[in-house]
Amino acid sequence: MKVLELKEVNKIYDSSEVHVHAVNDVSLEFSEAEFAAIVGPSGSGKTTLLNLIGGLDKPTSGKIFIDGTDLSSLRSSKLIDFRMRNIGFVFQAYNLIPVLTAKENVEFIMSLQKWEEKERDERTFELLKAVGLSERANSRPSKLSGGQQQRVAVARALASKPKFVLADEPTANLDSKSATTLLEIMEKLNHEEKITFIFSTHDPRVVKMAHRVITLEDGKVVSDDLRELPE
Amino acid sequence: MIWKIAWKNIWRNPVRSFVVIGSVTVGVFAGVFAIAFMNGMISQRVESAIDEEISHIQVTGKGFNLNNDPQITIPDISHTLSILDTVKGIRGYVERTIISGMASTASKSAGVQIVGINPAEDQKIFSLNKTIIEGTGGYFTKESKFNLALIGQDLAKELNIIRFLIDSAALSELVKEGVPDRILNKVSRFSGERFKNEKNFDKRMNDILLKEEISEYGQKIKRAAWSFREGSKLTLTFLDKDNNQVGAVFRLTGIYDTRNSIFEMSTIFVKNSDLKRLTGMNEKSFHQVILRLTDVDQTEAVTSELMDILPGLDVSNWKELQPDLAMMTDYVHEIYAFFMAIILAALAFGIVNTMLMVVLERTRELGMLAAIGMNRKKVFSMIMLESVFLSLIGGVTGMALGWIIVHLTARNGINFAQYAEGMEAFGYSAHVYPEIGADFFIMIAVMIILTGILSSVYPALKALKLNPIEAIRTE
Repeated sequence: MKVLELKEVNKIYDSSEVHVHAVNDVSLEFSEAEFAAIVGPSGSGKTTLLNLIGGLDKPTSGKIFIDGTDLSSLRSSKLIDFRMRNIGFVFQAYNLIPVLTAKENVEFIMSLQKWEEKERDERTFELLKAVGLSERANSRPSKLSGGQQQRVAVARALASKPKFVLADEPTANLDSKSATTLLEIMEKLNHEEKITFIFSTHDPRVVKMAHRVITLEDGKVVSDDLRELPE
Repeated sequence: MIWKIAWKNIWRNPVRSFVVIGSVTVGVFAGVFAIAFMNGMISQRVESAIDEEISHIQVTGKGFNLNNDPQITIPDISHTLSILDTVKGIRGYVERTIISGMASTASKSAGVQIVGINPAEDQKIFSLNKTIIEGTGGYFTKESKFNLALIGQDLAKELNIIRFLIDSAALSELVKEGVPDRILNKVSRFSGERFKNEKNFDKRMNDILLKEEISEYGQKIKRAAWSFREGSKLTLTFLDKDNNQVGAVFRLTGIYDTRNSIFEMSTIFVKNSDLKRLTGMNEKSFHQVILRLTDVDQTEAVTSELMDILPGLDVSNWKELQPDLAMMTDYVHEIYAFFMAIILAALAFGIVNTMLMVVLERTRELGMLAAIGMNRKKVFSMIMLESVFLSLIGGVTGMALGWIIVHLTARNGINFAQYAEGMEAFGYSAHVYPEIGADFFIMIAVMIILTGILSSVYPALKALKLNPIEAIRTE
């Protein structure tokens, strides 16, 4: 089942000082439960592409469809709501809410979506258990290691059962052991939850575990290798 | 969840939050206390005016108030009183005779209004009897074969009836009051010297005491030196019923102190029976009936009713007789609200500044929240709630502190004895009992919440303008 489709997407930054074709005529499709990595050198357009897919930025031309909905047809307020219900985000710097506990951080999106408390608790418990942090549910981010914070961020991204999760350099700030643990957890959740993961990364460990590797150069897709289809 | 995050957010930087809360606390406390003080002053002035000077409503002969013409009396007083008996809301009434005249002592004279009263009836609805200065006699309490007059403290000073004398009794009183020896030594230099008036006494004190010493002990010394001889005489001169000038000697039955210099200077109370005899007026002739109501809020309704049923008479209520007081009581809430609004507006700048810093510091976090789907309304609400929480914590603390201090000071009042002369010249007591009503606290609470909301608008709009992509990249 197709969850995401990009059709001839371009992003051009054009100012008096600079003209950059950050994303150049990119057309891609992502199906349910994919585990895909977008790779490429710095400045190749990975993060810009992720921002476009996540609805954080608008393409100069082309269309992006999420579960059949054209992102360009959504007004600003609708787009925010759409993002909340369909896309999970994992950031390089974790970006948890520092005043909330791990549990509350995971619950946050569900609470914005007005989930019932019981359902919310069950889902939070299930996800914290899945990322191996049920014992640290009541710890604030400042009491957690970088790896643990990123695991909470993954749990938060998955909380409202989005169509896919966008992870921008999720392992960049982690040591080797924490990065491996995080990747294993994400791969496991990818299988269990049937949620598509799309990473932008430089990390060879991520690339190694990805089932599909899309390589960008100067904003263009130069290769799209499918290594192994998810079950 | 938004409430929870907003609440937790304000404690992220406790020092900064406490600075804002502290400034709101101090501002609100100052506002509450200043308003309670003003309110106390105004209430006391209104109560004093109604209880001791003008009452709620006055009924007079048509045109009497224009020039106090003694010929204009209330026609058929019995009929008028019988009508008053049928009106609901009237607690009581008394008839008065009012004559303009001149009061003179051996050394001075002053124009006055001589008010003839029936003391026994008058004190049932009027509180003038409670304002008699201790040691000056009483409120027509002693039977006397002489004409008796009750005069105000300021008139007594003006007519040199009150004198000033430092004697052994005065010095003993000053010792009791804790006046130090160096001051006593200076004051005792004019021991035994009798000052005919306050001005001379003040001059002498200025000669021997330093300015600071007068400021600290002047009132105590003056109080101790205050001297009055019971039964002092004064002559009242006025026109009789045939417009012939008559004069009579009156003995002082007492001196009253309403803390309103203008009233004290101009009003002398005598017995109706004495005034009728001297003017030759009919016993049933009166110039004025003053009414007390059961509830001050009924003033306008009863006035209107009386104007309908007593078309041949003038009916005036206290608001018409003292429009300055009416304005203060009618617009008091607006004045207080305006005063608080100025204080809160000043505090709002501090809150806006703090909230702008909050937005600046949390740029990345706000970008993340927008990215993961927190809509503009919720971002705005979160910033607004933080601002309201800060304002409310400070506001409630300030109100509580204000309430406590108001109640503590209201027990014994605050005495500005050194400014008594100036305050009493405007009719205000120098001994102020701050007071404040619950409705006022509700008004302040609403204003504080509004301040919190308004203070958050600009910072919240700043937060809404953040571009999530750029905000997330912020270090």
